[in-house]
Amino acid sequence: MSGKSHLRSLRESTERFFFAEESPYGLALVRMCLPTVALIPMIRRFFRVRELYSADGCPQQLAELFGNGRLLPELPGPVAAALYGLMLFALICGVFGFRTRLSFLVGGLLYIYFNMLDAIGTMTKYSVIASHVLLILAISNAGAVWSVDAVLRRRKCTDGTAAFPVRVPVWPARLIQILFAAIYFGAAITKVQTPEFFSGEQMRYWLVSNWNWPNPIGEMMALSPAFLMISSYITVVWEVTFPFLAWRPLGRYAALGIGAAFHIMTIFSLGLWIFPFICTTCYLAFLQEGDIAAIRILLRRLRLQFHWAGMPRILTASLLEQRPAMVPLAGIWVLAAIVAVVGSVEADYRLDVYGIRRHGAPMALPLMDATVARQMINSRSALREKDKYFSFDIGSMVMAGQLANRRSQFETGDVIIAQCNLNPPHEDLWVECVIQDEQDRVIDVAGQFVTRDQLFAKFSYLTADKLIPGRYWVVLKSSGQEVSRRPFELSGDAAVERPEDGMLAN
Amino acid sequence: MEGWCWMNLRRWGAGLLIGGYLLLLSWGIIGHALKIPAAGNTLGYFVVWDMFCGWQAFDNRTHFIAEDSAGNYYRLQEPWGAFQPFGHVDRVNYDVSNHLAPKHIRNVLTHTEHPQIDRVYVVQEVWPKQYNVPDRLWSSYFHEPKDQQSYFNLRAICAADGALIESNPDWYVAQGLKSIADNPRLREQSQGALPFYNTFFNPRAAADSNSSFSAVDDGLTN
Repeated sequence: MSGKSHLRSLRESTERFFFAEESPYGLALVRMCLPTVALIPMIRRFFRVRELYSADGCPQQLAELFGNGRLLPELPGPVAAALYGLMLFALICGVFGFRTRLSFLVGGLLYIYFNMLDAIGTMTKYSVIASHVLLILAISNAGAVWSVDAVLRRRKCTDGTAAFPVRVPVWPARLIQILFAAIYFGAAITKVQTPEFFSGEQMRYWLVSNWNWPNPIGEMMALSPAFLMISSYITVVWEVTFPFLAWRPLGRYAALGIGAAFHIMTIFSLGLWIFPFICTTCYLAFLQEGDIAAIRILLRRLRLQFHWAGMPRILTASLLEQRPAMVPLAGIWVLAAIVAVVGSVEADYRLDVYGIRRHGAPMALPLMDATVARQMINSRSALREKDKYFSFDIGSMVMAGQLANRRSQFETGDVIIAQCNLNPPHEDLWVECVIQDEQDRVIDVAGQFVTRDQLFAKFSYLTADKLIPGRYWVVLKSSGQEVSRRPFELSGDAAVERPEDGMLAN
Repeated sequence: MEGWCWMNLRRWGAGLLIGGYLLLLSWGIIGHALKIPAAGNTLGYFVVWDMFCGWQAFDNRTHFIAEDSAGNYYRLQEPWGAFQPFGHVDRVNYDVSNHLAPKHIRNVLTHTEHPQIDRVYVVQEVWPKQYNVPDRLWSSYFHEPKDQQSYFNLRAICAADGALIESNPDWYVAQGLKSIADNPRLREQSQGALPFYNTFFNPRAAADSNSSFSAVDDGLTN
C-alpha cells in the first residue's frame, strides 16, 4: 500500500468516524439527562440569585481569580433574577426538546455566564464539563428524536417519511466522547504530577475533608493505605487507557463500565453528588443505534413499559398544536420565556434574601463574646507535637515503601515495622521509636531525622535477637515528647532467655 | 446543485468546528502537562483538567470578626443564613485565595444593622484533618483520646468597606516559613543580607553625567 492510499484510507476512516449517519438516540438521552442534573445545583441557587450573581450581592468572578479583572457585567438584582429565570426556562425547554437549539444556545450561554460570575460557590469542573456539553447540544441534532420538536415535525409530515427515524452525522456525539477522553487524560496528567497521589497521602486527606456532602465510606478508606495505593494506580491506568479503549467494540464496555463504577464510588467516598451524574449522563453519548435496539429488546423481554416517559412531550406537542395558526412556535417560546422572566423577578422580590422587608429593617449583626473574639484575634499558640502527626501504626508488610497492614500480634523472628505519617507543613524533626515492656522499662531506642519534605518515617525492628515473648509497647516520641503508643504481643519460642524479675532488660 | 453546495458548506463548517475544538482540547492538555502559563488563565480553566490538584493536611475555616468603636465584637456573617454551596460548609470558606473577603465584608455590612464598624479581623481557624474522622472510627483506629485543638491565625485586618489595612501570611505559609527560619545558619545569613534601597546613588543622574561627560559627583547625590 502506497503512502497516498494510506492517506486516503486515513481520511476515509476519519470521515466515517465523524460523519457517519445515525439516529441521535444517545445524544437525545444526553439532552434529557445532563441538563436535568446540571439544573439541580442551579435551582438551589435560584433562592440566592441576588446575593451570588448580582451587583447587590458579592459575586466573585472567575476572571478575577486569574487576575484578568471583571470580564463580565454584574447586573442589578432584578435583572440578574430575570436572566436566571430565563436560563432555567431555556434549559427545561432543552430537556423536553422544545425549540431545542435555541433553548440550549440561550440556556448554555447564561449557564456559563452565571457560573463565571460566582467562581467560589457555583463554578466547578463539573460546570465546565456541563458548559462544553450544553454548547455542543446547541449545535447538534439532539432534538431530532424523543422531543417535542420531533413529535410536532412527525405530525406535520404527511408524505409517510415520518415513520423512518431521522439520521444525522454523529460528530456532535463524537465531540462529547472526545471531550471525556481529554478530561480523563488531563486528570491522569494531574495525578502523575502529584507524587503524593500514588503514595496515598493526597487521597487520604481528601477523604477526611468535609468540604462536600457526607462520605462515610471515604473516611474508612482513608485509614487503609494499601487500598488507597492500589486504587490510585488502577485509576491512573484507567484514565490513561480510556482514549484507547472508548471506541473499541469490546474495550468501550470496560472503559465505560469502570468509569461509571468509579464515578458512583465518588458519591460515597468523596461525598460528590452532582459531578458523578454529570459524567455518567454524558456517557450516554457513547450509545449507538445498535445499543438502543438491544436495550429496547431487553426491556421488552423484561416486560418493562416505558411509554409513559414519552407522555410529557406528546402532551406538550398536542397543546402547542392548539395555538392559533398565525403564531409561530418561536413566538410561543418567547412568550413562555417572558412569563418565566417576570415570575423570577417577582420571586426574587418576594424571597427578600436579605430579610429587609420581612423584618421591616436590616437584620442585626450577632454580637460576639469579647473574650472569645480577642482569643481568636490574638492567638499565637504553637503547633502541638502530636498535631504534626496524622497517625502511628505497627505492622509487617510494606507496599510502595509504606506500611500496608496493621498488626498487634507478632511471632519471634518477625520484623516489626513502625510507621508514623506526618501532617505537612512541619519543620525538620528528630523522631524516636522506643520499645517498652509491660512495666514501661525501655528496651530499645531508635531515632532518625525526619526532614520537612518527608510525609512518613519508618522504623524496622528485628525481634529475633532482642525480645522474648511477652507484651510490649512501641512508643513514638517527637522532639523528646511522647506522641503516640501502640501495644503488641510477641509469641513463639524465646530466642534469648528471659531475665529474672527486677533486672534491667537491656 | 444548490442542495449539494449547501451540504458541502455544512460539512466544511462542521469540519472546521471539529478541528477548532480538538485544537482547544489539545492546547488544554499540553499546556497543563508542560505547565505553560498560557493555559493558566480564565479561558484555560475551561480546557485544563486539574481536578484534585492540591491537598492540605489541615482543615480550615475563615471567621470574620467586626469591632466597633466601643470595643464590642460582632460575628460578621450573614444573619439571613450563609449559603452552603457543596455541603455543610459556608460559601466564604471555599475562597482559598481570600479574594472574596472584602466583598463579603461589604455585602454583610451593607445589608445589616450595626454600630459604626472600625475594623474587621479575618481569622483563619486550622486543625489537623484526622480530627474530622467520626468518633466511632476514631476509637477503632486511633488509640489516643480525640483531643482536637484549633489554631487561629490573623490573616488580615480590613476597614468597614472591605479595604485591606493589614495582611499576614496564610497559616500554611507561615508554618512553612517558621520551619525554614528554624535553621540558625539560614537565619544568620538572612539577617546579614537585609534588602535595602540605595539613596546615595542616583542612577538617572549617573546616566545623565555619562552622556554629557560633565559628571561632577559621579551620580552620588547625598
